[in-house]
This record gives sequence, C-alpha cells and structure tokens, in this order.
Amino acid sequence: MTISSSTEQICFILLGLTVIVGALGVVLINNIVYSAFLLGGVFMGVAGLYLLLNASFVAAAQVLVYVGAVNVLILFAIMLVNKREELKPIKALQIRKILSAGVCGGLLILLFRVDLTTKWSTPGPAAIGEKATERIGEHLFSDYLLPFELASVLLLMAMIGAIVLARRDVLTSDVVTGDVVNQNLIEKSNEPILIDQSNKQ
Amino acid sequence: MPEMGATLITTQSMTAPGDLLNLSLNASAVIPEGFVLLALIGTLLVDLAGEKTAAKWSPPICYFGLGSALLFLSLQWNGNPDSSFLGAFLADNLAIAFRSVVALSTLISLLISWRYAEKSGSPVGEYAAILLAATLGGMLLCGSTDLISIFVSLETLSVASYLLSGYLKRDARSSEAALKYLLVGSAAAAVFLYGASLLYGLSGSTNLQVIGIALINSPTPLAALALVFILATVAFKIAAVPFHQWTPDVYEGSPTPVVAFLSVGSKAAGFGLAIRLLVGCFNAFDTEWKLLFTVLAVLSMSLGNIVALAQTSMKRMLAYSSIGQAGFVMIGLVCGTEDGYAAMILYMAAYLFMNLGAFACIILFSLRTGSDRISDYAGLYQKDPLITLGLSLCLLSLGGIPPMLGFFGKIYLFFAGWADGQYLLVIVGLITSVISIYYYISVIKMMVVKEPQEASELVKSYPLIKWETMGLPPLRFALLTCVLATAIGGIVSNPLFQWANSAVAGTPILQQALEIAYKGNLG
Repeated sequence: MTISSSTEQICFILLGLTVIVGALGVVLINNIVYSAFLLGGVFMGVAGLYLLLNASFVAAAQVLVYVGAVNVLILFAIMLVNKREELKPIKALQIRKILSAGVCGGLLILLFRVDLTTKWSTPGPAAIGEKATERIGEHLFSDYLLPFELASVLLLMAMIGAIVLARRDVLTSDVVTGDVVNQNLIEKSNEPILIDQSNKQ
Repeated sequence: MPEMGATLITTQSMTAPGDLLNLSLNASAVIPEGFVLLALIGTLLVDLAGEKTAAKWSPPICYFGLGSALLFLSLQWNGNPDSSFLGAFLADNLAIAFRSVVALSTLISLLISWRYAEKSGSPVGEYAAILLAATLGGMLLCGSTDLISIFVSLETLSVASYLLSGYLKRDARSSEAALKYLLVGSAAAAVFLYGASLLYGLSGSTNLQVIGIALINSPTPLAALALVFILATVAFKIAAVPFHQWTPDVYEGSPTPVVAFLSVGSKAAGFGLAIRLLVGCFNAFDTEWKLLFTVLAVLSMSLGNIVALAQTSMKRMLAYSSIGQAGFVMIGLVCGTEDGYAAMILYMAAYLFMNLGAFACIILFSLRTGSDRISDYAGLYQKDPLITLGLSLCLLSLGGIPPMLGFFGKIYLFFAGWADGQYLLVIVGLITSVISIYYYISVIKMMVVKEPQEASELVKSYPLIKWETMGLPPLRFALLTCVLATAIGGIVSNPLFQWANSAVAGTPILQQALEIAYKGNLG
C-alpha cells in the first residue's frame, strides 16, 4: 500500500464519518440552529468527497451553492422566525418515531442489499480533473442545451413568484369594477382548516 | 428513422462533446414552446406599465402565444420523429398529442381565470406569466427523452404550480395548500433524483433510450429499486392513490382556475412522462410496472370515487373525482396495446373538455355567489339556466352517460382493457363508474328538482346575470366551447378516434413496445 492510497483511504474514512455523524445529528438534535450548522458540515464533507473523486469543479460548486447560499439562507430563516411558541404535544409521538425509524431502517437494509448484489460497471470513466470545467461547458452547450436554457426560465419564474409572494403592496380594488378586494379566495371559507381563527378578534 | 437516432446516441456517449458541436440541433421541434416563452415575456413587459394595462393586454398576448403554439403543434403532426437537442427532446406524435392537451388546457384555464383573478385582487400579469411557465415545463416534460431535461422541466412545472396554488397569499387556505404542495412535491422530486442517479450509475448515460438498452441487457435488483422510486414520482404527479394525499387540500385551497389547470394540464404532463419513462425505458420490467400500476389504478378508482360521495364542497368533490378519473386512464397504460394507448390519449382529450367545462361553471357560480358548497346550488335552474345546463352536461359526461364525449372515451378504455384481458381493472372501473354517476347526478338533482321555496339562500338572492364586465365574455366563451365539445363531441367523435390512433401509429417508442409484446405473444 503506497502512501497516496493510504492517505486517500484515511481521508475517505474521516469524511465519511463526518457526513454520517453530521447527518444523524441534523435529524436527531432538537435545537434547530445546531441542526442547521451540522447541515453545513455535512455539505462540506460531501464537497470533500467530491475532491477525493478528483471533481474539483463540483466540489467548488457544492461549497458555493450549498454552504454559501442554501445553508446561510436556512440560518437566516431560522433567525428571522425567532418566535418562542408552545406547541401542542403530538399524540403518540413515540410510536410515530419508532415507525419512521423502522421504515428508514428497512430502506437502508434494502439499499445495502441491492448495493452489494449489484454488479457495478467499475471502474467508471477516468476522471478528467482540471479539464472538468471545460467539459461541463461543452456539455451545457451541446447535449444539455435544452435543460440549461429551461433552467433560466425556471429561475426567472421563481424570482417573479418570490416577489409576488413577498411584496407588500396588495391591490385594494378590482382593476375593472373598482370594488374592494382582499386577496382571499372567492369561495368563502366554510370552516377554518389549519389556523384557528376563533381567537383572532 | 430509429437507426439514425441510435447511431447518434452511441456516437454521443463515445466521443467528446466537442465533436458534437457540429451535429444538427433540430431545434425546430420546440417552436411551439418558443411561442409560449414569447407570450410569457410579453405579459411580463406589459405588466410593467401598471395593473390596468396588464389586465387589458395580457389576455391577447396569451391567446396569441398559445394559439400559435397550438398551430405549430398541428404543423408538426406526422413530422420527422428525429430526436432534437442531441437526444434531449423528441417531437413524436405522442409528445405532440400530450403537448397539445397541456397547451389547450392552459388556454382554457386562462380564459376562465381573468375575472377570478381581478375579483380576488391578485396581479394578473404575473399570474399569466407563472401559468405560462408551468405550461412550458409541462409541454417540454411530455417530449423529454433525457433524465436531466425531464427533471428540469418537471421542476419548472412543479415550482410554478406551488406558486400558483399559494397565489392568494392573504388567504390561509391558499397558503396552506402551497406549503403542503411544496413539501410533498419536493420530497417526490428528491425521490425522482435518487432513482435517476441509480439509473445513471447502471447505464452511464442519462438518455432514456440508452438506459432502456442497458436495462434489457442486465436487469438487476437495483434497476427494480430505481423503477419503484421513479414510479412514485409519476404517481405523485398524476395523483394516484396512495400518493394522492396532497390533492384534496391543494384543490380546496388553490384559486379555482389554478385547480382547473392542475387537474388537466399537470395531470396530462404526468401521463406523458409516465408513457415516456415506463414504455420507453423500463421495457425490461414490463410485468413489474404493469402489476404496480394495476394496484395503483384499482386503489385510485375505488378510493377516489368512494370518498367523493361524502364531499360537501364542489372543489373537493372534483378533486376526488379527478383521482378516480386518473385511475380510469391508467387502465389504458396497463393494457399496453395499440387500443390501450389510443384510448388513453382520447380520454385525456375528452377529460380536458368535460373537466374544464365543469370548472368554468363552478367558477362562474362562485363569482356570482361566493360559494362552492354543493348545497348552495339548490334550485339554481330557475335563476341561471346556463350554469345548470353546462354543469349538468359536463358532470354527466364525467360520469360516462351516453351520448356525451366522456361515454365514448370510457367505453373505449374499457373495451381496450377487456380485449387485453384486464378483467379485474375493467370490472372495478365499471363498478366505480356507477358510484361516480351517483354523486354526479346528486349535484344535478340538487340544481334541478328543488322546488322554488327549497332553493338555497344564495340562490334566492342571486344577482342579475350580466356579461359586460371585462373578463366575463372569455369565461362565457370557454364555458360554451367546452360544453359544446362535451355534448356534440360524442356524436362526431370519429375524428378524435382517428387522431388518437394516428398518435399511437406515429410514435416509434410505442410501435417498438407493441412489436416486442407481439413477439412475446408468438413465442
């Protein structure tokens, strides 16, 4: 065993442990801020795994997008909704936890079994390392051109939607008839569904 | 020319993509989508000039975009089914048929939504733009032949649908619907990605044709797992039981025109995706997915139609009935015969008219009274004969009463199922059809046979019928078109039959699947 391969193995074990322990922490810890920071750790671990696989571009994108944008956004959301509220205890929480743990455990065992019995086509194509960026660019403008262009429509639409949902100026009158409007469904509510409106007065 | 497509795909996986830059894109296949995109940008630009201008100019821009899209779709019919964008998109007749259904459903949904959007005080320009983006995603989804383009178009459709269902942000029900839809939908998208990554790992390609060949050569348990994951996503999109839990709440909380689009356009795109993935890619697991879909179809037909019996809200009833209708369409998919596919396409087209007709009526009713409770429809025929007649015809057609369009669609589906030996499905379908006729008729009975003094309070104080307000004439036009197509379409349904059959005949992947099934029967 050469030095390089043993280093690689040690790195892999460390990164793998980080990802697994971090992911378990995200799910099991009750404090949501800890969960969010652990999620950042998991993303970093995955980026490290990409680096081990000689995919530096994907690793950089992972750090920029997931750690830099997604995770920070989650933290912002947590800090903005800084509201202590006593929630009603959920009925039979223990049984639900055991049930979902059972389902997830079953899925894990199934995945292990399938993973071990499948004949993977290893080794895959050799990593191209430094040329990855160039190759990705070529793909984006050849066989992945359509999804690439469509993604721009998706982003545009998501931006418009976010603005519409977030902006405060709501129309107060019907643009055609001038009647007073309130941005509610036309169908009057029969009974409150999720939010209890009885103690709002 | 399937051989040429195959060589193109093999060269694609062998050579560096740099050499691909010299190949032809064949981009004319997406001209219809281009017009939808133009209309989207047009509505956004018009919207800059203020709400009044937007309310005036958005409708014609949308009509122009969708109308030209439909025109170019009809020009593509029986065109060359070469894959375009180097294997990412295929404009065969199947794709064209489903893309037309999606585009037409958007057109009709827009016609019936202007007045609703204005009366609820929501910005009209952005509403149309987001709905057009959903259409764009749905249309591209029907023709995608590559996992990446499938995923991106699926997300475009889904994200736009979440936004639309939460569009009336001041209403708690609308926000709840959007949140539920977002959470369940994101989970479904994640499951799809997991399945897609397994498929990529097995075959080394994201192209459905290449994956299909790899799966035939080496069917592994892993592929079966990927099949289950991908099937779950498809079932979520078409709201098949047990992946239907989001449907009733989302349908009840979303603005009603959005529900009209979700129940037809989004569902048609889901069925297009189902055929593309299951028939085009999972041919090696033919018996497995047919068994799974049989279970889904039986559950959807029975649960959807039985729970619909107990509903008091019109929107919720139509939500459950749409779950049942999806179950009927699945019979055609499970058959896998020429008639089965043709019946699926025909029923989707029929469902478009009858369901959107019903939605046009309930939107008009809620615009005039502000209610969608079934009991509020009592005695309506004396005050508003048009809604009564239109809703009755559409509901009768949904129930499958001759001589409506829905009857011919349903009888064709059952005929195809019986001919293929799917006796369980056909019997369950027949029984649940009878159940569905019961709850459809009870709405009609509520409207028609009540004595004047038994009419509901809302109907007693029914406003004078006026059509002058801007946004109401398009609604009337859509209502009359849908009701006419539903009522007369059944009698002159022969062109529709021919259209559905030629859609199957002009689709290489369906022809290949039929050939394989035929050889299997002989051997």
